[in-house]
Amino acid sequence: MVLKEQDVIEVKASPKPSKNKRNMKKHLLHLFLLPALFFYVGFQVYPILAAFVNSFYSFKGMVRQDFIGLENFIRLFTEEPFNNIFKNAFWHNIIYFIGTVLTKLVLAFALALLISSRIKGREFFKAVFFMPKLLSVIVVGFLFSLILNPTNGALNSFLKMVGLAEWAHPWLGDPKTALYTIILVNSWYGIGFAILIFLAGLQAIPEEIYEAAKIDGASGFKMLFRITIPMAMPAIMIMTILTFIGSFETFELVFAMQGSSGGPYYSTDVLALFFYRLAFGSVDGGEAIGLGSALAVILFLIICTATAISLFFFKRKEIEQ
Amino acid sequence: MLLAVFLLVSIFFLAACTGKGDKAEEGTKTEEKTTTKTEPKVEEKVEVKDPVELVMYSWRPEDREAYEKFIKVFEDQNPGITVTFKPYKSTEYGTILTNALTAGQGPDIIQLRPYEGALSIIDAEFIVPLDDIQGINEISDEYLTAARGTDGKVYGVPLSLNAGVIFYNKDVFDEHGFALPTTWDELLEVGEEMKAKGIVPIAQAGKAAYLLSLTHSVIGATAYDQAYIDDLLSGKADLADDRFIESVKRMEQLEGLFPKDFIALDDKDTQAMFYTGQAAMYINGSYRLETFENTAPDLNIGILPSFAKEKGGETPLVTWVDGSYAVVKASKHQEEAKKFMEFMASKEFGQMFSDELSRISAIPGVEPKHELVKEMTALGEQNPIPYLMLVYLGGGSPTTKTTFENALQGMYIKELTVDGVIDESQKSMDKWFEPVK
Repeated sequence: MVLKEQDVIEVKASPKPSKNKRNMKKHLLHLFLLPALFFYVGFQVYPILAAFVNSFYSFKGMVRQDFIGLENFIRLFTEEPFNNIFKNAFWHNIIYFIGTVLTKLVLAFALALLISSRIKGREFFKAVFFMPKLLSVIVVGFLFSLILNPTNGALNSFLKMVGLAEWAHPWLGDPKTALYTIILVNSWYGIGFAILIFLAGLQAIPEEIYEAAKIDGASGFKMLFRITIPMAMPAIMIMTILTFIGSFETFELVFAMQGSSGGPYYSTDVLALFFYRLAFGSVDGGEAIGLGSALAVILFLIICTATAISLFFFKRKEIEQ
Repeated sequence: MLLAVFLLVSIFFLAACTGKGDKAEEGTKTEEKTTTKTEPKVEEKVEVKDPVELVMYSWRPEDREAYEKFIKVFEDQNPGITVTFKPYKSTEYGTILTNALTAGQGPDIIQLRPYEGALSIIDAEFIVPLDDIQGINEISDEYLTAARGTDGKVYGVPLSLNAGVIFYNKDVFDEHGFALPTTWDELLEVGEEMKAKGIVPIAQAGKAAYLLSLTHSVIGATAYDQAYIDDLLSGKADLADDRFIESVKRMEQLEGLFPKDFIALDDKDTQAMFYTGQAAMYINGSYRLETFENTAPDLNIGILPSFAKEKGGETPLVTWVDGSYAVVKASKHQEEAKKFMEFMASKEFGQMFSDELSRISAIPGVEPKHELVKEMTALGEQNPIPYLMLVYLGGGSPTTKTTFENALQGMYIKELTVDGVIDESQKSMDKWFEPVK
């Protein structure tokens, strides 16, 4: 094809936008980010920075007083009853994490495997398992408090009705069962989301790998441990990290079911509840905001450090693979 | 282009600010009045004073209707002042109030927690002293203590007195022929009779630990007495004193009279037990009277102040100030807010408060209409004893009261012994308590 002179002139006639205009467009796009940035800074960054600053100060009521360095942190770890409550709540957070991994994640992975196989009504099951997530955590907590009520709750009534009266139990009133009961409720609430993440991971595994393994004579069990789990590891890691963060941030469900003191007698107390009591629950303490901020900083550091370490090992493993 | 957008945004921003400024202007302003079309146009300028709106925070959403009546009376007497009652859930009130006060915006009048609960707000200088308002000096000094700052000034108008009482279902007692217990031993005896007939002697909830310390105050009022409280305050006695130990032992003994698994029960569950006649007695504050009247108006109830040590012994009534109302320092309407405080300190308000809400008013000279309120008022005047944990041991972080009630929970789930409860509470008290010299 031969270009005519006229065509060349037309091409030349549409000049490229100047560099300044291109820059301006770029900046204009940034402008659209400003409202979101404003809210992010106001509601996320500022409170975190404020907590960092407040943790180094003493408070009289709600008014900031003197700079006291690390004293709030030292008191949290050394002074009674703060040190005991901290240790107890921290331990509960660990149990909460392990319990959630063992119940929610293991079950969610099993269900995701089942749904990803060719069973009938897989979309229906996906929707059903995800449904609890549509409810507010507070509503879930309130509903389960009613269901688990020892005298007229649905669970104990059902157990009595089917002849298992001896199994009826004050699930939330017995320190031996209260925390585990909350973990189970949390697992019920969050299992749908975990299933969706695992399903996405499982569906990304190429079918050919399984076919090749089958030709090589691999059993279903072998395929699960040699192909499915290793290849779904990114999804598993992400869910484990999210579960860790969720377990250390857990507040609403425990608060809704057991109140701000994590009763009975701190048997369901977690760090976020302890923080709430320190910072807001007992303004009469007169020194609570500084200590509460110190606890918030510690909580932030625990979550950040654990997440960073997990991500580091996860990335390294990904590179090795 | 960027400049154009920036200018546009700036114009909108300025326009918004100007609009806001106009609205925000308060006090007197000039308003133009135009006569009807048929008359020659005459523009006259009339000075109109803007109505002042007072915003009032409370932790009693259940009292909204009654407060709206009280406010209507005040507004009729004080044209130009309107009061908006904004109640929040009791458990969220502290946080909401803290945020509003710290931000320096929000209410003009606030409901103030009593005793130590008021001190952090007073010490932070969020509210103003009310010593000079009319009627405040008529109120008993003992009640004013609930809102007194460390500087000795009064910062709140005490609203109502609460009494910790034992409610009993008269019909249950009559139907089964139970004798009304007046002493501690009689309570244990009749409790066993009740259990034998399948009646829960005392409908007690333990999920919310504060209910345990309230019950302790009623049950323990005759294990210790005012003399012990005086000794404790002066430093002559501590919580390891035999009299206080006896009160905690009584709580331990009571476990057998409480419902099964009471530690997992809410107050609402046990109220239902009491309404339905499954339980014979229920221990709580006098404020529950209003709840009963709304929920079970036909319930035939009586009250007992406490259980005497021995037959014919004293049965004091546990009392405390429930809360006070205070004026926020940041309020732009100090004068109007203080006017409302004077209204709240008046006998007229006290009478309305007592009649509408079946509560014991802190204002002197109020004559309750309700028979049980009248009875409680009389008992309180004859032989009162303070709610020890709330009135005197509400300090510390966590407070000694909180430590004590959580430790009681610990005792019921067998994590602590009576000595353990005393030990934890004493340790908490040692950290902040200073004997009165």
